[in-house]
Amino acid sequence: MAVNLMINGKATEVDADPQTPLLWVLRDHLGMTGTKFGCGIAQCGACTVHIDGVATRSCQFPLEAAEGVKITTIEGLSPDSSHPLQKLWVEFNVPQCGYCQSGMLMAAAALLEEIPNPTDEDIDQYVSNICRCGTYTRVRAAIHKAADMMKA
Amino acid sequence: MKILRIIGIIIVVGIVLFVGLAFLLNQRPSSPFDGVAAVTAPQYPVEEASYVARLADCVACHSLPGEAPFAGGLPMGSPLGVMYATNITPDKATGIGNYTLADFDNAVRRGVAKDGHRLYPSMPYPSYSKMTDEDIKKLYDYFMFAVEPVAKPNQETGIPFPLNMRWPLAFWNVVFAPTKVYENKPEQSAEWNRGAYLVQGAGHCGSCHTERGLAIQEVALDESSDAYLSGALLDGWHASNLRGNQATGLGRWSEDDIVQLLKTGRNKHATVFGTMLEAFNNSTQFMTDEDLKSIAVYLKSLPPRGADPQWTYDDATKVAFAGNDMTAPGSSLYLTQCSNCHGRDGLGRGALQPPLAGNPTVIGQNAESIINILLNGAGRMVVDGVPDSYRMTPFRVLLRDDQIAEIATFIRSSWGNDAPAVTAAEVAKLREDTDPTSDHVIVLNMR
Repeated sequence: MAVNLMINGKATEVDADPQTPLLWVLRDHLGMTGTKFGCGIAQCGACTVHIDGVATRSCQFPLEAAEGVKITTIEGLSPDSSHPLQKLWVEFNVPQCGYCQSGMLMAAAALLEEIPNPTDEDIDQYVSNICRCGTYTRVRAAIHKAADMMKA
Repeated sequence: MKILRIIGIIIVVGIVLFVGLAFLLNQRPSSPFDGVAAVTAPQYPVEEASYVARLADCVACHSLPGEAPFAGGLPMGSPLGVMYATNITPDKATGIGNYTLADFDNAVRRGVAKDGHRLYPSMPYPSYSKMTDEDIKKLYDYFMFAVEPVAKPNQETGIPFPLNMRWPLAFWNVVFAPTKVYENKPEQSAEWNRGAYLVQGAGHCGSCHTERGLAIQEVALDESSDAYLSGALLDGWHASNLRGNQATGLGRWSEDDIVQLLKTGRNKHATVFGTMLEAFNNSTQFMTDEDLKSIAVYLKSLPPRGADPQWTYDDATKVAFAGNDMTAPGSSLYLTQCSNCHGRDGLGRGALQPPLAGNPTVIGQNAESIINILLNGAGRMVVDGVPDSYRMTPFRVLLRDDQIAEIATFIRSSWGNDAPAVTAAEVAKLREDTDPTSDHVIVLNMR
């Protein structure tokens, strides 16, 4: 079945079973492999994208529900890796192996949209992504710094 | 001395009456198929015969997961002790290979085995008694000629003497088990009557969805009582209310919604889970569209039971999340653990991620199903041979009792839902009852 999607500001048509998880559509049908597969049961957050601005696990988001919403993936976070978080991710050496980090970045970016000056507790609540390398302290530091930068 | 003699006579007369009665009660009932010639070849196309077995969902109880179908062995709990489903393959030594059509009929519609012993009513013969002679013949055809014989001896029940004597069930049958085939109600449509026949008869929906009385009988077997299909507890789940109640029943469902759920396992209101999964995986998805429509027509004709509050969506919860207001207990846990699938608005995502807002199971008075599914997740739904990609995750190892109680209470009181709170003690009890390593794990109960 043909479904019309709006991904990173671009209208895209996908022909797939409406039950297909959005993550599979992104990676397998559209070749957008920045978004990662982790657990497949909406627990780890590696597949996080924005649906109408809200950080969402795409592995449990059916294609049929993706019509008519605004989807942003890691490829669309900024045109040239210029999002403050992306810059700080480099500056703070946040990633180690990096596998979870595109999801982590998307969760952090959505958080800053909703809560421009988050507390540590807010970060724990809104960025519930799992990182096998344990980069949490650097993630937290980078988010705080980004909040400061974006305020200025 | 005189008194002793009188007591002696009473005892002797009592024993004679007891033995005589027991003998009489072990007589086999009569069947319309008594004396008919032995059936030596299939009388119906196998598709027609197997369809009746699908309608009756024999396989769900008479098989063990991963083993030969219909060979029995599934344990079922009862207050008296465990009992085991029997081998109903046509094996002559251990199954029902020696059953004549009349023997088979007596077992299915009267609850009496070939040797005269009474079946426990975990076999839903009070429902099957409504099946037509023709459907019984088809079912017999299926079991005699389409099912592979499997040599597997039946297991004795774990019910201790004297409770394991079965003749008293003959009294139970007189009081609780009807013996009449379903009769069409001329004032109702053909569709309604077909639906009633399927729901009350082969489908035996009431075995789970109707509450049971003191003698573990279903308190109603048809729409004449408003207790019929109004929901009941079993196996650690609450089989939902199928009547017209707006909040907790099927009041907000259309006929098409009902058909969609029974055909695909999902609709915009709910998803099958718990013990309904077996009924869906083995039975309802194989029913024809016409039969499913008939079932929907019949169910939609059942008026609500008791008070019938409306449910309306309240977006206060969604607004609180948007404003980063986490004051409601459980909201923070919901955000991190649940909102990724069910959404901050509680509306789920189409038919594949069920809504929690207004979901009859979530807002039912009884929270058993909600606690159970939070602890143990949903089982595997298989549609057209394909396992589903969207399944509720078990939180047994991730969350403590008090956390699960907090989440359950939160979803039962958000988005316009208004159901009683859940306590950590309730969660602890069900956690223990459904712990596969405990020695008193809930096994299947009466069906």
